[in-house]
Amino acid sequence: MADLGRAALVVSLGLSVYALVAGATAAITNRRRLATSARNALFCCFGSTLVAAVVLASALVRHDFSFTYVAQHTNRTLTTPYALSAFWGGQEGSLLLWLLVLTGYGSLAVALNRKLLRDLTVWVVPVLAGIGTFFAFVLVAVASPFGTQTAPLDGNGLTPSLQNPYMVAHPPMLYLGYVGLSIPFAFAAGAMLSGRTDERWIVATRRWTLAAWAFLGFGQLLGAHWAYVEVGWGGYYAWDPVENAALMPWLAATAFLHSVMIQERKGMLKVWNMVLVALAFELSVFGTFLTRSGVVNSIHSFSKSPIGSWFLAFVVISTVFSLALIMWRLPLLKARTKLESALSREATFLYNNLLLVALCLTVLWGVLFPIVTQVFKGETRTIGRPYYDFFLRVFGLPLLLLMGIGPLIAWRKASFRGLVKLLAWPIAVSILCGVALVLVGAGSSKPGLIAYTFSSFVLATIVLELVRGTRAVGSVFTLISRNRRRYGGYVVHAAIVLLAIGIAGSSAYGTSTRARLTPGQSVSVAGYTLSLRDVRRTQVPNATETRAVFDVGGRWHGTLSSGDNQYIFPPEPSREVGIKTSWARAEDLYVIADDVNVKTHVVFVQVLVKPLVNLIWVAGIVFLLGAGIALWPDAREQRRLVTRLAPARV
Amino acid sequence: MSIVLGLVLAAIAVLLVALPFLREPVAADDRLAVPDAEEDRRRELLEDRDRALAALKELELDHRAGKIDDADYRELIGPQRREAAAALRALQRRYGSEMAAFETPDLPPEPTPPPDEGSPPTPVPVPEPYPPPDEATIPQE
Repeated sequence: MADLGRAALVVSLGLSVYALVAGATAAITNRRRLATSARNALFCCFGSTLVAAVVLASALVRHDFSFTYVAQHTNRTLTTPYALSAFWGGQEGSLLLWLLVLTGYGSLAVALNRKLLRDLTVWVVPVLAGIGTFFAFVLVAVASPFGTQTAPLDGNGLTPSLQNPYMVAHPPMLYLGYVGLSIPFAFAAGAMLSGRTDERWIVATRRWTLAAWAFLGFGQLLGAHWAYVEVGWGGYYAWDPVENAALMPWLAATAFLHSVMIQERKGMLKVWNMVLVALAFELSVFGTFLTRSGVVNSIHSFSKSPIGSWFLAFVVISTVFSLALIMWRLPLLKARTKLESALSREATFLYNNLLLVALCLTVLWGVLFPIVTQVFKGETRTIGRPYYDFFLRVFGLPLLLLMGIGPLIAWRKASFRGLVKLLAWPIAVSILCGVALVLVGAGSSKPGLIAYTFSSFVLATIVLELVRGTRAVGSVFTLISRNRRRYGGYVVHAAIVLLAIGIAGSSAYGTSTRARLTPGQSVSVAGYTLSLRDVRRTQVPNATETRAVFDVGGRWHGTLSSGDNQYIFPPEPSREVGIKTSWARAEDLYVIADDVNVKTHVVFVQVLVKPLVNLIWVAGIVFLLGAGIALWPDAREQRRLVTRLAPARV
Repeated sequence: MSIVLGLVLAAIAVLLVALPFLREPVAADDRLAVPDAEEDRRRELLEDRDRALAALKELELDHRAGKIDDADYRELIGPQRREAAAALRALQRRYGSEMAAFETPDLPPEPTPPPDEGSPPTPVPVPEPYPPPDEATIPQE
């Protein structure tokens, strides 16, 4: 069956090259049948890539170790879900997933818009095919998942830390986000290539962008939870280059989602939007380059491989292509109106954009710094957490504040008097909240105090907005269902506030202590007392489990165990932490038994109490809810768009 | 077997890609239907209409919700209504009243306006919700 997979990928490559060349020729020479043929090639490319994906998936499920990829990433002990998750657990499989999602998304986006946006889609096809050609080429010539060998009795198995339910969902979610950003990019490029830079490309890709952004955001939160429960260092985000690789396009896409509203509303920021959509796409490919090339050290990245240079070349070529297009079409991207006041909705969106892009570029510099120092100084210097934390505060706190102010300000211009009147209640709530926090001792961390005060301000504005809006239209359901983008956006803002509270609580107000314990000894932290009861080692299929068992007293009574697993296939260790979540106290007790000696029964343990950390995971659900509301189709809007975009009746 | 399946896959792909030429070996008109200047103008006017009406709708909602006070509302509503009227007038002039029609935004009945504080120079009454399509008559210049 590997031959079928290989053949399907070769067919995909041929089809994507054809769709690129024939599509571009058809668009330039204005030939209808050739354009339809190129479009069909894109659809067929999805079909043949799907065949390749099915071949690989079936080999994984059947434990067909004659596939080198299957033998390298699975073994017979893996259950079907984990065997399937090896599809994206290795480099070649994850590239195949990229191509599958790209051609699937691309085909759907082109099929849905082929009638209403026929002059744009004729250019979108070759752009998408160009991206597809690159991935198909890499899969055929550089990193094929269909290499074969004489089948061994068993495979190497999947890295233990990847054998986690979150890892079944997290990578595909990120891919749906990364690849989803190709669609707005392709339509933006199509608009510029066709010279029709009106708002249709934005209207056509609004939901695609929102969906990609939502997948990317939720995928990152899933990854953060995986890191929290599985990697076991007590945190959830380490500013690791590969984690940053997903954060950067998300920040750029967030900026784009806001600035695009100004273009829709005022016909402004056309160049800026083109730059942002290109930036988001380039960063998503750059993120894949970071993960695949092994150019940076990360627990997430794949080992050094020959595909890095291909990816780098693709990033450079596509960046030059995007910039050249924007420069070429600058005369068509002139704004129709100007900013009327620095105190207006559009102005706050602009400030928000500047902060988001500044944060994004700051993170990019942090990621690039080791590579730059290696190239220019011959030594790798990395940038640590303090750098990122500093800039997160510098740009993130004003962003949080703007999230509260922005929705209240009127479009065009707002009067200072009116704004003060509007903000009176939220300001009062935030001051009260700040004073209360100082009184309960939260003043120990200034950034934490500011984050909480700002968060209460934003929450107050959201509640006020909902109450006022409901009063105006009669019911909250009517309000939200008739203004989905707006109120979906507010729900997402609420999720970001929960996230900010969770991050501030767990980092600024967390407690941690380390101790060396023998059975009977105890350690106390933040009202909890942990006594080491026992140290034990047990043998389970495929692993030796070593655990230190603690009796917990004080604010909670029970047992927690922590230690490590030493797996046989693959022969790798895995740290196992003990976590007790208390929803009533809104905190986690987190135990890391670093070094468990079964002979001497000595255990080195780190105990952390992390207040409000679970709000981060709640934020993920609220985020999805908000994105869902904003994404939900609006029949009225659809009818209006069809009227607007349908070709004129002759 | 796999090779045969691969060849079948390739053959199906070639067939589907060639389909437009197989269906129409000789096309009477093989040009792409690219919108002409007239269609671009029509779309531009519709975009202007939708943009102006959406802005008007949001301003209306914000005013009713108490987010924009009467003084600011009076200042903002004038230019916004002029923009909307201009967009609708342009559409009506070019394409007749059918094209200038639009859906009502589903706002509830107008609440009692707040008592007049002072006397603004040109008091603009709080506008009614957008007229339904059949009542969308736009004042002529």
